[in-house]
Amino acid sequence: MKNIIVKTVGALCLASAIFVLSSFIKEPEVSYKCMIQMTNYTGEKAYVVVSLINPEGKYEKTLYVQGDDKEWFPDLKEWWKFSDGTKENVDAISGATIGNGERNIISLGFNASHLDAGYKVRFESAVENQEYYTVDAEIELNSATIKEKVDGKGYIRYIRMVPNR
Amino acid sequence: MIVSVWRYSHLLFAIASSIFLLIASITGVILAVEPISNKIEPYSISGADELSLAETLENINTKYEEVLAVTRDRNGFVSATVIIDGKNEEFYIDPFTGDKLGSPIQKKPLFQFATNLHRSLFLKSTGRFLIGFASFLLILISISGIVLIAKRQGGYKQFFAPVVRENFSQYNHVVYARFSLIPLLVLAITGVYLSLLRFDIIPDSQVSLQVDFDSIQEEPFKEYTEFDLFKNTPLSELRELEYPFSEFVEDYYIIRLRDRELYLNQITGDVLAEEKYPTVQVISSWATVLHTGEGSILWSIVLGLGSLAIPFLTVTGFIVYFKRPKTKIKNEHSKNESDYVILVGTEGGTTLQFAQELHKQLLLSGKKSHLALMNEYSHFNKMEHLVVITATYGQGEAPASAEKFIQLVKKNQQKQAFDFSVVGFGSTAYPNFCQFAYETHEALKALNNSIAIEEVFTVNDQSFESFNNWCSVWSEKMGLPIHLEKPKLVTSSKPASTFKVIHKAELPEDDTFLLSLKNLNGSKPVSGDLLSVVPAKGERERLYSIGKVNTDTLLISIRRHEKGLCSNYLHQLEHNEKLTATIVNNRNFHFPKHSKKTVFIATGTGIGPFLGMMQENIKRKEIHLYWGARTKDAFNLYKDYIETALQEGKLTDFKTAYSRQQSEKIYVQHLIQRDKELFLEVLKSKGCIMICGSIAMQKEVLQELQELSNKYLGKDLSHYQNRKQIKMDCY
Repeated sequence: MKNIIVKTVGALCLASAIFVLSSFIKEPEVSYKCMIQMTNYTGEKAYVVVSLINPEGKYEKTLYVQGDDKEWFPDLKEWWKFSDGTKENVDAISGATIGNGERNIISLGFNASHLDAGYKVRFESAVENQEYYTVDAEIELNSATIKEKVDGKGYIRYIRMVPNR
Repeated sequence: MIVSVWRYSHLLFAIASSIFLLIASITGVILAVEPISNKIEPYSISGADELSLAETLENINTKYEEVLAVTRDRNGFVSATVIIDGKNEEFYIDPFTGDKLGSPIQKKPLFQFATNLHRSLFLKSTGRFLIGFASFLLILISISGIVLIAKRQGGYKQFFAPVVRENFSQYNHVVYARFSLIPLLVLAITGVYLSLLRFDIIPDSQVSLQVDFDSIQEEPFKEYTEFDLFKNTPLSELRELEYPFSEFVEDYYIIRLRDRELYLNQITGDVLAEEKYPTVQVISSWATVLHTGEGSILWSIVLGLGSLAIPFLTVTGFIVYFKRPKTKIKNEHSKNESDYVILVGTEGGTTLQFAQELHKQLLLSGKKSHLALMNEYSHFNKMEHLVVITATYGQGEAPASAEKFIQLVKKNQQKQAFDFSVVGFGSTAYPNFCQFAYETHEALKALNNSIAIEEVFTVNDQSFESFNNWCSVWSEKMGLPIHLEKPKLVTSSKPASTFKVIHKAELPEDDTFLLSLKNLNGSKPVSGDLLSVVPAKGERERLYSIGKVNTDTLLISIRRHEKGLCSNYLHQLEHNEKLTATIVNNRNFHFPKHSKKTVFIATGTGIGPFLGMMQENIKRKEIHLYWGARTKDAFNLYKDYIETALQEGKLTDFKTAYSRQQSEKIYVQHLIQRDKELFLEVLKSKGCIMICGSIAMQKEVLQELQELSNKYLGKDLSHYQNRKQIKMDCY
C-alpha cells in the first residue's frame, strides 16, 4: 500500500517537474539578417511580402511585409488568399516600401525545427499597375546553402541572408 | 493682346479645373498640417547636427548590438534601424547617447486619406493624371491672372498698387490673388513636375555606383572612428547610412549625404565609389520639399494659406463672372436712322445702367436714340448728337468694351457734323481719375466736323446725383425735357436709420448751419462717411459728409440754397425732431490711422467731416487745418469746435484764406505755395492730405500739389495718390 502511495507521489512529482521544466524550455529560434536588393525597374515602389512555405508548398506564416499602405495588399494575390488581413497581425512585421535600385535589410526569425526540414522562404512582389510575381525569389531554409545569393525574377535583383550576430 | 482673350482663357481654365482644384486645395490645406505636426515632435536634439558621423556611429554602436542603418530626415530627426532579439526595430534616437526617443511617426489615417485623395482621387492612375492636368491648368490660370492684374493695374510696375474697388468679390479676388500668387505658382509647378516624374516623362535618374570588386583592399585595418569621411562629415550632412551587410570586405558602408552618394570600404575606410546626385534628383528633392512643406513650419503655413486661397478665388472669381451684366443691348432704331447715339465704355456694366437710363428717357421723349458699345463705333449716317459715357479700367486704361474706340474714331470719319459730350465715370480715390474719358474727348475733338458741347464731365463713385446734374445741363442745351430715374441697382441696400436733431446752430448772414444729430438706431458711422437724405418721396438723394464729434453726436454742415429742396428741408427741422436717412460708407475718406502728419484742406461747409476727425486724434498727432471761406464771419459757426481742439492739442494749427475779406482775393490753394515746406514734409513722411469741398477748389489744390511734387520731389502726384496719401471728397 505504502509502496503504491510512494510510486504515485513520485510519478506525480516527476510529471509536474517535467511539466514545469518544459514550460521553461522554449523552442529554439534562429534569426537571419536578410537583404532584399531591388532591380532598376521603372515605376512606383514595390510591395514585397516574405512568407514561410512548408514542405507541402503551402503558406505557413508571414515573416515580413514590405509595404505600409494596406490598400495595395490585395495586389499580392496568392499571399492575400492565405492571409487576407485577418489571419495575422501584420502591423508588427511591416516596414516601408522601397523603390527601384534600393535595398532593404531586415531580420527574419525562424523556428529552429523548420531549419533543414524542407521549408522555404518566399519573396512575393507587386508594383502598382505592373506585373505581379507570385515567386519573385525563393530560398530553401537549408543551413548549408542559405548564405548563397539567390537571384530574383521580378523586381528583386537578389536576396542575401546571413545568420544574425 | 486684348484683355478679353486673357479673361476668357482665365475663366475657361478655371471652369475646366475647378472641381479637381477644389478637391486638391481642400485636401492640400489638411496636408499642410501634417509636416507641422511632425516637425513639432520632440525628436530634435539641439547641437546634434554638429556631431561628426564618427561620434554618432560610436554612440549608437555602443548602445546596440547590431545596427542596420542610421537616417536623418528633413525634420532633422535622427533614427536608427537595429536588430533587437532577432527583430527589426526602427526608432528615433538621441545621437549623443543612442537612447531611443520614440517610434517612427505613423501617418495618421486622416492624412493618409487626404494624401490619396490629393494625389489620385482614389482613381489610381486616371486620378493622378487628372490632378496633374489640373495642376497644369493652375499654372495657366496663374499666368493669365498675372497678365489680367497687370492690365488692370496699368502695367507690371503698378502690380502691387492699390486696387480700384468695384465690389467685394472683384476687389478681394484681385487682392488675395496677388498675395497667394507665389505659393500657388510654386504648388502648381512642383505639382506638375511630380506628376511628370510619376508618369516617367521626366526620367527618374538614380545614382548607380559601380564597385570594382577586384581591387578591394583588406588592409590596412582602421577603426571606423578613424575613417576620414566619418570624422569630417557632420551629422547635418547625412541623409542615410547603411551598415555593411556582412563582415566580408565585399560588403561596404552605403552613405547618402545631402549632395552625393558613396560607398566606403568597411575595413580600410577607402572610398570605393562616389557620385554627386544627378540634377534631376536634386530638382525632384526640391520639388517635393516645396510642394509638401516637409521640414519647415513656415513654408507649410504659407502653402496651407495658399491652398486655402483656391476655394476663395474660385468662388469670388465665379461671382465676378456671373455678376458682370451681359452687355446685351436692344435697339428700336438702327444706327443709321438715329439722331442721338449713346456709346458706352464699360467694364463691370454699372456704367451701362446709367447709359440705358438716358437712352430710355430719350426714347420716351420721342427721340430716335441708338445705344451701343464704344467698340461698335462706325458710320452713323444721321447722327447729330453723340454722348459717350465711359468708365476707366484699372489705372487709366480703356475698359473692355472700348479698347478699339480711339482707332475706330480715326478710321470712320462721319460725313455730317455732330456735337458730342463725354461723361467719365471713375473714383477720385485713385489716380488718373477718368483718364480714358479725357482721351476719348481729345480723340473726338480732333475730328474736323465735331463740336464739343462741354468739357469732360466726371462722375465720382457712380454718383447718380452728379450724372443727373450733367444730364440736366445737357438736356437743356438739347432743348429736351428729360428727367432721369435712379437705376435700381445703384441704390444702396442699407436700411435707413432714424436720427434725432439735438442741436442746430445757424449763421444766417452766411446761409450756413450746423445740425447735430443723434443716431437712434445701431449703425455706427465714422467721420468722413456720408449721410444720404431723401427730402421728399420720389426725390433723389443728397449726400452730406459726416463729422462724428463724439460717440453719440454726428455733425453735418450745410449751406442753405434759396431753392434747395433738401437744404431747406433740413433747415426747417426743429430741435428734437426726427429725420430718416441712410449712412453710406465712404471708406476712401476716413481719418488715416497711421499717418504721423495730416493736412486737412476745406472750403466752406467742407469743414464738416474734419470737425469730427479732429476728435479722433486722441494721440495728438500733427494736424494742420486749412480753411477757405468768403468772409471772416463764416468762421463763427465753427469757432467753438476749432478753438477747443486747438486748446486740447488735437489740432496743431488752423490757417484761413478769406476770399472777400480784403481787396486781394486769397484762396486756400494759395496757402500751399506759401507753406510748401509743410506740404513737402507731409508727402515725404508718408503723411496724408485730405481735401473736402468744391470740385473747383480740389482741381486748384491738386494742381498746386502736382507742381510741388514735380519740382521738389521728382515724382508724379499719382505716386502719392496710389499710396492713399491724398484723399478727397468733393462735390
